[in-house]
Amino acid sequence: MRPELNRRSFVAIAAATPLLAACGGAARQKAGTNTRAGLRAALPSYVPSGSVTPDIPSLAGGAGAATDPAFLAYPASRVATVQGTPGRGGSYTAVTPLWGTVPPAGNSFYEAMDKALGVTLTMKPADGNNYNTVVPTMTAARRLPDWIQLPTWWNSIFNVGGLAGTQLADLTPYLAGDKIKRYPNLAAIPTGAWQTGAWGDKLYGIPSFSSDFVIAGAVFHRRDVLQAKGITADQVRSADDLMNLGRELTDAKRGVWAFDDVWTYLFPAWDVPLTWDVRDGRLIHKYEMPQFFEALDWHHRMARAGYLHPDAAAGQNANADTRFYSGKVLISGGGSGAWNLADHQSGTAADKDYRRGAFDFFAADGTSAPRVAMGPSTNVISYLNNRLKPDQIEELLAVADYLAAPFGSAEYTMVNFGVEGVHFTMKDGVPTATEDGKKFVQAMTFPFLASPPAVISNPGAGIVTRDYAAWQAANVKALYKPVFWNTNISMPQSLSAASAAQAVEDAIKDCYHGRTKVSEVQAAVSTWKTGGGDRLTQWMTDNVLSKYGTGQ
Amino acid sequence: MSTPRSWQERPGRRIRLRRDRSLLIMVVPAVVLLLVFNYAPLFGLLTAFQYYDPLAGVWNSDWAGFDQFHRLFADPLFWGALKNTLYLSLVQLVLFFPIPIALALLLNSVLSGRMRNFIQSVVYLPHFFSWVLVITIFQQLLGGAGALNQFLRSHDLQTWDITTNPSTFVLLVTSQVVWKEAGWGIVVFLAALSAVNPGLYEAAAVDGAGRFRRMWHITLPGLRGVIVLMLVLRLGNALSVGFEQFLIQRDAVGHESAEVLDTYAFYYGIATADYSLGAAAGLFKSVISLLLIWGANKLAHCFGEDGLYRR
Repeated sequence: MRPELNRRSFVAIAAATPLLAACGGAARQKAGTNTRAGLRAALPSYVPSGSVTPDIPSLAGGAGAATDPAFLAYPASRVATVQGTPGRGGSYTAVTPLWGTVPPAGNSFYEAMDKALGVTLTMKPADGNNYNTVVPTMTAARRLPDWIQLPTWWNSIFNVGGLAGTQLADLTPYLAGDKIKRYPNLAAIPTGAWQTGAWGDKLYGIPSFSSDFVIAGAVFHRRDVLQAKGITADQVRSADDLMNLGRELTDAKRGVWAFDDVWTYLFPAWDVPLTWDVRDGRLIHKYEMPQFFEALDWHHRMARAGYLHPDAAAGQNANADTRFYSGKVLISGGGSGAWNLADHQSGTAADKDYRRGAFDFFAADGTSAPRVAMGPSTNVISYLNNRLKPDQIEELLAVADYLAAPFGSAEYTMVNFGVEGVHFTMKDGVPTATEDGKKFVQAMTFPFLASPPAVISNPGAGIVTRDYAAWQAANVKALYKPVFWNTNISMPQSLSAASAAQAVEDAIKDCYHGRTKVSEVQAAVSTWKTGGGDRLTQWMTDNVLSKYGTGQ
Repeated sequence: MSTPRSWQERPGRRIRLRRDRSLLIMVVPAVVLLLVFNYAPLFGLLTAFQYYDPLAGVWNSDWAGFDQFHRLFADPLFWGALKNTLYLSLVQLVLFFPIPIALALLLNSVLSGRMRNFIQSVVYLPHFFSWVLVITIFQQLLGGAGALNQFLRSHDLQTWDITTNPSTFVLLVTSQVVWKEAGWGIVVFLAALSAVNPGLYEAAAVDGAGRFRRMWHITLPGLRGVIVLMLVLRLGNALSVGFEQFLIQRDAVGHESAEVLDTYAFYYGIATADYSLGAAAGLFKSVISLLLIWGANKLAHCFGEDGLYRR
């Protein structure tokens, strides 16, 4: 019963809507994918900063990848990189996601920052856990703040392609090419990161935490525990090695299991791309690759063999860190951001010998060269509101330049630690937060608007810096640029469900938790293909691959 | 004893307004709340008939007619979620619904007032725990690495898979609901029990009725109206078996057993920005719920009960 009549009556209502639309006045075009030539014209020049010298310099790999420079001690001479105050007294609001406790409004750190920046910047951090549902209400009401941070993994939920130019300001006239040299600290952010904030051949976003070593994560292990058993990470060279290690480490009777969830970080070992790859000139989704199911089979067998912690199999992720710190789990996947000072502090609080390590990337078969797809140069991009006047945009870009001052500079110290004597004191060369500092500064607020390229630095825990820098150096050669790297794609709404592939992802999770067989995932994939997956591949082929190439 | 005139003849509207003024003022905030949070959002139902795009807004989104419903009804996952919801609801009706009544009867028979208050506080405390906490407690006790299984393991016994077994999931969630909500559920029944005239019990006792006969002939009939009311409300909520409880445990048993209508609307509507499909699923749920509550109320009236309101 196809409701033709109803359809017609809806058309009548639809015809009346332009009258009603006058108050909304929304444009519906979407800024599309960038072209090669258009990007070249819009992207800013790159002028690296030489004001601070790292203890362990960056090491270049292939395909534009490079390790992050590392600092073993906090630079003693905090050089100033910005002359005077950047602002001219304007008032602005900024919204950033925050995974932590929101500091009280109008606190002494915010006041000190306002004074240093020369503007009144009202920070409104929002809960990171439901940020993806907060932002759409702001964009639907066209009430974005002056400055907002939109993490790239939510690009399609936020429809950033549609916001670019309608609600988000075009920064091309201010930053393209050599114009960025007015803002030397912004100019020191590598080009790849700016590309992740470009839409339809124009520049919109300001990148934070850019890096040339961005990966989904790694398979971590308790280095202290493994070493005590005489096992070193380099003994694991294949998937079979890892399975054998799982058997060796699991001791369920003592409440110790070898593995927590590792799937997201381990499947690339079977030469599976993050999403897309071009094989024999044809665009192919990872779900359609036989090696994808081989990877799945390994994880399924691992769980069935009983090497996966039961709470992990029950989807209890909230206390995964606790399991790792208490040694109930010895191998766990995670984002590379897990390897830091806070982790070291939490870990050593639970077990004084705690030391995090990561397995080097390996190919599942143990013989091929390991390959791991680089992620986009940054996942954290902030945008300015389209309603701002040109001089306001210039003022905020000057503020962004201050926020992006290099690691160890006077400005960086202010943004990250606050005022010396009030929010932090230097103890043995390490900036240490005071009570006020812990309350007001600790939270990630300003750096989410703009920050310098990533460095490895864990003041007071040199071992973490050395371990992580050494691991990056050993693995940088495995990184490659995947297809559509740093490419922003505005997909039609009708393909978003196929792109998210919730049903397949559910089936995958059930499979690597050992509950359902690989064949059931295969069945889910064929349903997905007919229910939109094939259309998605076709759309990507027609609208992205054939028009703009692989972007590699 | 003559009744005052005003009770026999309905006074004029103005007089009634003046008489009930303070009551009406007290009701205003609740009505405003209802209008703002329950009626105003009904406007959003329009999006179920659109290809809703939040950036374009409700007025500028393309109209879809019944396309979203066609998509919804063609999706086997939706029917799976509906089936799970109804099944869970039925099992909870049978296994959960009688428990607060039984508890209330038991508590009512406890003579010591202090003892009664103590027991009541203990059983309704879990109501104030969040689902995350309840499920964590269950996981710590019954999970694969929980207290029970570690005990079995250390004595070389077969472990018992409780929290990740899809086929017994319904019993797990029902026992969670019983633990968390049964104590809270007795409040209404206890209130109804206190309204039963104690004179009836005394008279029955004098007539030689034992404990059981008094319960059967006095207590239960006294509770009947409330039980029917709760049953009608329960049926109206048959398609809302809870959201967080299933969201949190969905990964433990897989979507095939744990997907209910609310989690379906969340995953396939909100999380993938397919808002119109989510709205269609929500609207479908509301319509069925309305039919259920209407039917149940009708049935209650047929049996001479008050149901939601007196006919």
